[in-house]
Amino acid sequence: MRGFGTYIRTRRETLAENSKDFSLRKISKVIGVEPAFLSKVEREVVAPPSEAKIVLLAEALGEDQDVLLAMAGKVSSDLLKVIRDRPILFAELIRKLKTEPDYAVLRVVREVRDGEW
Amino acid sequence: MIYINDNFLEIRFPELQNNVGLRIHFKRTLRIPDDGNTHSLPPGLGSFPLRHIDDFNLGTKNHLKERGGIIMPMYQSEALWLDFTSIQKFGDVEYPIAVKIGTGKICAVSGDSWSSTLNRDPQDYVVVPEQPWLDGYNVEKGKIKQFVAAPMGHGYTVEEQLTGEANVGGLQIQASPMKKDYYDSLNKPVQNMVDYCMHAPSMDMDSMEMGLAPGGEMRQEIYEDPYDFEVWDLRKSQRCFVTIANAEQWMDITGEEPPKSPISASAYTRAGLPWFEYYANNQTAIEGAKCLGKIKSIKNVAPTTGKNIWVDDEPAFKPKFSWLTKKKVNGGQW
Repeated sequence: MRGFGTYIRTRRETLAENSKDFSLRKISKVIGVEPAFLSKVEREVVAPPSEAKIVLLAEALGEDQDVLLAMAGKVSSDLLKVIRDRPILFAELIRKLKTEPDYAVLRVVREVRDGEW
Repeated sequence: MIYINDNFLEIRFPELQNNVGLRIHFKRTLRIPDDGNTHSLPPGLGSFPLRHIDDFNLGTKNHLKERGGIIMPMYQSEALWLDFTSIQKFGDVEYPIAVKIGTGKICAVSGDSWSSTLNRDPQDYVVVPEQPWLDGYNVEKGKIKQFVAAPMGHGYTVEEQLTGEANVGGLQIQASPMKKDYYDSLNKPVQNMVDYCMHAPSMDMDSMEMGLAPGGEMRQEIYEDPYDFEVWDLRKSQRCFVTIANAEQWMDITGEEPPKSPISASAYTRAGLPWFEYYANNQTAIEGAKCLGKIKSIKNVAPTTGKNIWVDDEPAFKPKFSWLTKKKVNGGQW
């Protein structure tokens, strides 16, 4: 599996083929870091940035923030709060679902009910 | 499966492939002037909040609950556009999905009565990702009339203009993915819509319920389905009814404040903010729907009761434009 830095670099460079808005310099400015730092992150010379910067990066690159956070070895603070508020319930739920296929996990999500119309 | 995810609707097809589906944002926007001119794309002003209709006590309005789906608030005369985004893993080809959109069970693309099938001639659906958004009714090739919220029972809505009845209201969405074997072999999805054609029970509509009516005219193309018609998988179709509540009804039902009323188009333009133009390469627009070409915008409807709800925006503005395109930009040497 590719690392966080390689992943975002590939994504950014793909987008940069169609728009200058995705240059290293522009994206650095959008997320509020120095271009040199983002370059080091992309080359995996340094560890991934903070949660807040990763969320901004996900938004800028059109990526899912939870996916990027997971690739960076982090968990979104709102998810941590959900688990901390009901640790036994969610720990049990996550362990039970850990080997289930995606479609089965998705069934846990509340679906919009269709009716008669 | 369809679910609400942070105020957008997410339609997934996990039985086809992991991480495949469609996100639909219900975007607030400026109501464009109905001044006989054809306007550019207005901006998005955030998303309408969405809630499960099952979560609320609807009192005597049981017919709303029977329809299931979701509920969202709109101010009278507020405008809406639908923003479509494909869901796929990074690096994968976007999975084509045929999306049918109805208002009051009248197809916004063909003007025909709602049916669960897909029709190619005239085309009564859009194909995502080729169609990035839809702002209104397909009234003429390259032109739409903006979706604008209007109270039911006064003759404004397209449903009332075409059927003479105010039975349904709201917004209907149906999504049908491309058959998996076509996607796998061609890397281009196309599919048919699900078969759902039901008769709405005859009922007296609460006057607070809302439908969608045509507003001002805008440049926007509805793109022709680029795939063979048989590629659509109607058996996998999913659908959702979107009940539209006015601000008062939204507060009564949900106990939540609705979003603040949006600014006017002229105030937005005076602030120097941009409108948008869009063009897509290599895509063909379909013709406008004949019956939708005859519908009157709210401003020109003589309501069956009360005064006309349209409030004229200040005329004559000179907007500045930004271009939206998927065309590859040459980066040049610098």
